Amino acid sequence: MFIHGLGMDNLSSFYYTLANPVAYAGAEVILYDLRGHGLSERPRTGYRMGDSVADLVALLNALSVKGPVHLVGNSYGGTVALGFAVTHPHRVASMVLIETHFRVTGWAEQIAAERSRVASADESALRRWLDRLGRKATRLADAADNLLDHTTFLADLATVRAIPMSRLRTLTCPVRAVYGEHSDVVDYARELDEYLPHCVLTVMAGCGHSVLMEASPALRKIVLDWFVTQTPSGIR
Amino acid sequence: MTPDQILAEVRVMLIEIIGAEYALSLDIGMDTSFDGDLELESIEFVKLAAMLTQRYGDRVDFVAFLAAKELDEIIEMTTGELVTYIAHCSAFAGAVDG
Repeated sequence: MFIHGLGMDNLSSFYYTLANPVAYAGAEVILYDLRGHGLSERPRTGYRMGDSVADLVALLNALSVKGPVHLVGNSYGGTVALGFAVTHPHRVASMVLIETHFRVTGWAEQIAAERSRVASADESALRRWLDRLGRKATRLADAADNLLDHTTFLADLATVRAIPMSRLRTLTCPVRAVYGEHSDVVDYARELDEYLPHCVLTVMAGCGHSVLMEASPALRKIVLDWFVTQTPSGIR
Repeated sequence: MTPDQILAEVRVMLIEIIGAEYALSLDIGMDTSFDGDLELESIEFVKLAAMLTQRYGDRVDFVAFLAAKELDEIIEMTTGELVTYIAHCSAFAGAVDG
C-alpha cells in the first residue's frame, strides 16, 4: 500500500517510480489518491490525521484486505502510515517511510504562507502567466486552489498533533526509513533512529525532500531489497 | 491489430481524458509526446494506463512495460512507444494462440 504526500502530490508519483517495479516483483500493489487529491473526491471537510487514518482503514476494508499490509509512505503519506500503525499495529507487516514527518507543527503555517505569497501577486497577471504555460499548469493550480480555498484542508492541518514518542516506541513492525541529506526534515531521521532502534535508516547524499523523484533508481533498489528481506518466501 | 488501429483507439482514449476541444486541435500521431505535446498530467497518464489495461490487459503486460522504464523515460514517452508495445504483445499473443 503506497501513500503519497500532501498538496500537489497524488498516486502518480509512486506509479511512475516504485509501484510497477514492486508489482513486477510479484507483490499485490495498491495505490490511492488521498482525499482531496488526484482523482479522489474533494469534500469540504475531513483532512485531519484521524480522518486520513480512517480513510485508509475504510479503503483496506472495502478492498477486503484483512491481513497485515506493507506500507510505503512518502512525506505526509509516511505520517499517515505511522498514525495507522500505532492505532492498528496488527494490520501492519512493515513500513517504508520516505522523507516522513512525524512532528507536523508548522505545516499549516508554511502552506498558508506560500499561498498568500502567490495570492498577493496581481491575480489577472498570474492567471495570464498560467494560461501561457498551457493546460497542465492551469489545471494543477486550479486543483491546489480548490483544495486550499474550498475545503477545511488548512484548518485541519493546523489541528494535527505529533504522534507521541512513547507511542512510536510501541511499534514492533520492521521499519525502513529514507531521508534526503539536504531536506528540511532530515532531522527526523535522527529522532526516528532514536525511538525506533530497529529501524533501518538511509540518508541519501545530495538529495532534498524529493527523494522519490531525485533518486528513483537507488530508492527502487532499497525498496525491492527491503521487500525481499520482509517476505522470505517470495514477494506477495 | 495493426499499429494504426491501436493508435486510433489510443487517440479516442486521449480525447476522453484531455477533452475533445483540446485534443482535436492537435494532431495525435506516433511521435506525439504525452508530456511535451499533450501536456498530460501524470495522474492523467495513470488514467490512460488504466484504460489501456482494461482494453488490452489480457495480452499486454503494462506493469512489465513500466517497471523497466526510468522516471524520465516515462515522462518523455510518446504515443508511438505505447502503440508499438501493444502491437508487439498482441502479435506475440496471437502467435501463441495459433
